[in-house]
Amino acid sequence: MDKAKTNDKYSRRQKIISLTPIIGLVLLLALYVVIGLIKDINFKAGFEAIVNQSVILAIVATGAIFIFTLGSFDISLGASTLVSACAGGLIYNATGSVWLMLVACVAVSLIASLISSVLGSIFNLPVFVTTVAMMSVLSAISEMLITGKGGNQIRITGLSGLENIWLKLIVLAIFSALCVFVFEFTKIGRRQKALGGNPVCAKLTGISVKKYAILAFVMAGIGIGLGGFLTAIRASTITSGTAGDIGMNIFIAIVFGGMPISGGPRSRIYAAIIGSFSIKILSQILTMLLAAVPGANGIAQMVRAVFFLAMVYLASINYRTKMLPR
Amino acid sequence: MNTPTMNNTRKIARGAFGTLIIPVAVGLILWGICAANGVSMFSNAQSMTIFVRGVATVMLTTIALAINLNSGRFDFSLGSVATLSAVISAQITLNIGGNAFTMLILSIVFGTLLGALSGGIYVLLRLPPIITSLGVALLYEGLAFTITKGSNVSFYGKTDVSGITTNIIYMMIIIAVVLVVTIVLFDRSRFGFRYKALMAGQKVSVNTGIKEVSNAVICYAFSGALMSIVGYLTATSVGTISVDILNFGSIGIMFSAFLPMFIGGFIGRYSNDKLGYLLAAITMTFFSMAYSALNLKSSTQSIINAVLLVVFLIYLSNEKTVKDIAALRHIRNLFKKKTDGETNNA
Amino acid sequence: MKSLKKIASLVLALAFVAIAVFALASCGEAKKVKIGVIVADATGSEALSFRNYYKEYIEKNYNVEFLYSDALTDAEAEKAAIENFITSGCKAIISLASADRPAQIEQCEKAGVYYAVASGVLNDEEYAKYKSYKYYVGAIGPSLDVEYQTGYEMAKAQIAQGKTKFAIYGAGVGYRIDMHVQRTAGMLAALCEDDTTTYGGVSIPGAIIGSLYTDGEVSLSKFQSSKYELVGYHALWNFGDATWQANLASVVAADPEVILCAGTGLSVFGQAVSGTSVKICDIDSFTSDYATAMQNGTVTYLAGKYASSIGPIFAAVLDAVNGHAVKTEAGEALALGQSYWVATSHAQFEKFQSADSVSNPIFNKTLLDTVIGDNVSYTTFKTFVETDRTPE
Repeated sequence: MDKAKTNDKYSRRQKIISLTPIIGLVLLLALYVVIGLIKDINFKAGFEAIVNQSVILAIVATGAIFIFTLGSFDISLGASTLVSACAGGLIYNATGSVWLMLVACVAVSLIASLISSVLGSIFNLPVFVTTVAMMSVLSAISEMLITGKGGNQIRITGLSGLENIWLKLIVLAIFSALCVFVFEFTKIGRRQKALGGNPVCAKLTGISVKKYAILAFVMAGIGIGLGGFLTAIRASTITSGTAGDIGMNIFIAIVFGGMPISGGPRSRIYAAIIGSFSIKILSQILTMLLAAVPGANGIAQMVRAVFFLAMVYLASINYRTKMLPR
Repeated sequence: MNTPTMNNTRKIARGAFGTLIIPVAVGLILWGICAANGVSMFSNAQSMTIFVRGVATVMLTTIALAINLNSGRFDFSLGSVATLSAVISAQITLNIGGNAFTMLILSIVFGTLLGALSGGIYVLLRLPPIITSLGVALLYEGLAFTITKGSNVSFYGKTDVSGITTNIIYMMIIIAVVLVVTIVLFDRSRFGFRYKALMAGQKVSVNTGIKEVSNAVICYAFSGALMSIVGYLTATSVGTISVDILNFGSIGIMFSAFLPMFIGGFIGRYSNDKLGYLLAAITMTFFSMAYSALNLKSSTQSIINAVLLVVFLIYLSNEKTVKDIAALRHIRNLFKKKTDGETNNA
Repeated sequence: MKSLKKIASLVLALAFVAIAVFALASCGEAKKVKIGVIVADATGSEALSFRNYYKEYIEKNYNVEFLYSDALTDAEAEKAAIENFITSGCKAIISLASADRPAQIEQCEKAGVYYAVASGVLNDEEYAKYKSYKYYVGAIGPSLDVEYQTGYEMAKAQIAQGKTKFAIYGAGVGYRIDMHVQRTAGMLAALCEDDTTTYGGVSIPGAIIGSLYTDGEVSLSKFQSSKYELVGYHALWNFGDATWQANLASVVAADPEVILCAGTGLSVFGQAVSGTSVKICDIDSFTSDYATAMQNGTVTYLAGKYASSIGPIFAAVLDAVNGHAVKTEAGEALALGQSYWVATSHAQFEKFQSADSVSNPIFNKTLLDTVIGDNVSYTTFKTFVETDRTPE
């Protein structure tokens, strides 16, 4: 009886802790509204800004969840997004077709992802280091595409009509739905979680590591392609600095959203969306509060770091081991 | 018949060959390429200073990365430790009117403390090091920016502070001291044996009573000390510390150390991995000097480095297969020669 | 472990409370006109001198508050920064970032927020397109022609002194930063005025500019001359990179008489040329490092911006926010040029430096007030900006 009670208590605590990222998001949103009221901000512009600044990150991060579920880590996501946006921009400028632009963005990012995954799985290379090399190569290719015709940018004109929050939200909704379906309702997601949770056991049951690694990179590639497409529309001028902060922010976002870094069965698609919106809302709050303070950007970053560590700590409180994690 | 002396000689020769082949071959190939293009890697009096400084910077960064990465701990905060320790020590040195040695010592002290703090956060929170190091990188980048109120730190006109980075002997002493201390600490001390035990079998080692926490914190502190020297060398050779590194602007240095780390590890099989890191740093600096002499664009440099990294990793990860293929070809060649000979005889 | 969990929870709770208290504390402040400033450089000496002028002088003398962005390196970041400023209730945006100025103007026009360019101008095509926009206040700063001319005059001054052996530091030419490309083209064009000298086989300024944009660098092999030597070229700011450092050293080792710099020359070459006879000529700002360098003879020529040169654009913005935007006779946005101050000696440098300080800037309140009001004509404003204020 007592044991059952303890178990109940434990599982209730587990549930509450697993909700920490969502609770954090709600609290941040509440804080944003309170401070916004005090500071008399423009809420319409504010919410639009949050959506505009979060969605691209959320889309790329959602696709990346498949890679992280396997316990792998891709550092080249930002560079892939840039090269995808460059390709899309050049195709649009050459053809004037938005659809061809979309196809170019997704195709380029898929090729980049497939190269990473093939190098990783066929040649047995550590994914992280492979993607470090890919990051350099993709950045160099972007540089060549951007400066190919002289100048320091790819300017895309005629797409301002597409730059609205509804298109972004629709793309996010469709892609998230696809990812949730694949992740939660097909054997692909289940097997990827199994591989991330216990690769040895999963392999012994006949699950192909190579096949599911490639599939993970394909899903991430689609996300990157969509992110590159929306980046090209939003930025309208692509330079070598475009999408520069996406790479590491993806990682921050999904961990902030409650995704365990080791991947496995506790991986959740929604972590990317919650995390992306949380860090952008936190940034907005800090901008409101600190913009007039000297060295404000540094202070804001320190606050973000403390929030990040505290949130991740709380969200993973039940998964401590005796040994130090690696 | 092989005598023990012959075996030893062969072993030493094999070790020396394996240890030196990469830097020597790379140096010769690059020298040849430069000569073919009518340029030289060492074209002026400053070249050797730049070379030695480059070797010191790459070697220290590689060791700092490898110390934790060999134990499965990714550390994204290396660059931020270098910058923050340089910022703090520079501010103090400039305020008190100190010289190069004051700043170097202060850098090492603060680098060690910042590294230990980074390690402390890791062992306290018990989160994967990849996560804590990202948090620490954000924290230190923000702190460097806040301390200076967003202003770069300039050493212009303060020749006292930059004396070490213009003196080859001092930099060689730094390289030698770091190498000796690292070898003693990690290969010859009780701490080092425990470090290696933890590296080889974490669970068994912890169960046998090895204190993993203190071992990890010391690793981070030592890594921080090394990065502080990198921060010092970079800052004083340039004359400016840029604090425009917010949003992970400091993590790039970590990626540049991967290739030398793998090369160093490979060389280490034939001698000692720390010595391997030195030779790998020499190899990488040969590349840098050649890129400069050949006036290669940065995008071309990036692609060459990335391809080298991937090719080297493919070799390392598939060494047995590569050797099997090579051996198979060798047997085939032998077989072919034999059959050709028989045919000719017939 | 439990206590650590409590501490983490406490940290988060305290952070939430602190943020709320901080917000409440700043609630009672008097309503000020908020102006957002977007910057490409947040940490350089010129950027900081501009910032100090706005934060330390203008804020104290006018009922305004400046909100500053991070260092913005691309168009998407500029867009996000402007969104944040609009959310914060900024009535105007002053831009010192130029990844995509047309997009900035469109964004501000759509949001009904005034927009102005400081320390730079739009190109002719862009001005033609945006000059009639309601919320586009205008641009005041060195035009691209002025940038070109500044580089040209710097090189001419060295030629006049009999110098023949040069190196060039192109700064942001590798990133195709317009002002750096123009300044560098000006330097090359000055050298190409000699009959025996060409760059890429030509000596026409337009062709040189085009070549720099295409190549993203000055190619030493393209420089042909029987009178001058161009012994080295360097660019960008990869301070931690050994290749970059090696190239920097090779430029100094080539022993040019002068390194002609398109900007930030002292930060890049100052340390490297110490102890040599190589001199630096630069286009930057009047900071204490340059004072030291001019005093010890390392820098012999400096074309510089002064901190309060961004005062007039503030005046124009404030007029617009107050409902009295200054427009040309044709009702179009401002497009006014400013030039650089040129110091060739330490004494001259000191004179310039002391003439424009945070406590007593050239564009002080008294002067600014002559163009802040409801009845300022375009002619008055133009004269105000274009009057030569170089200290005698």
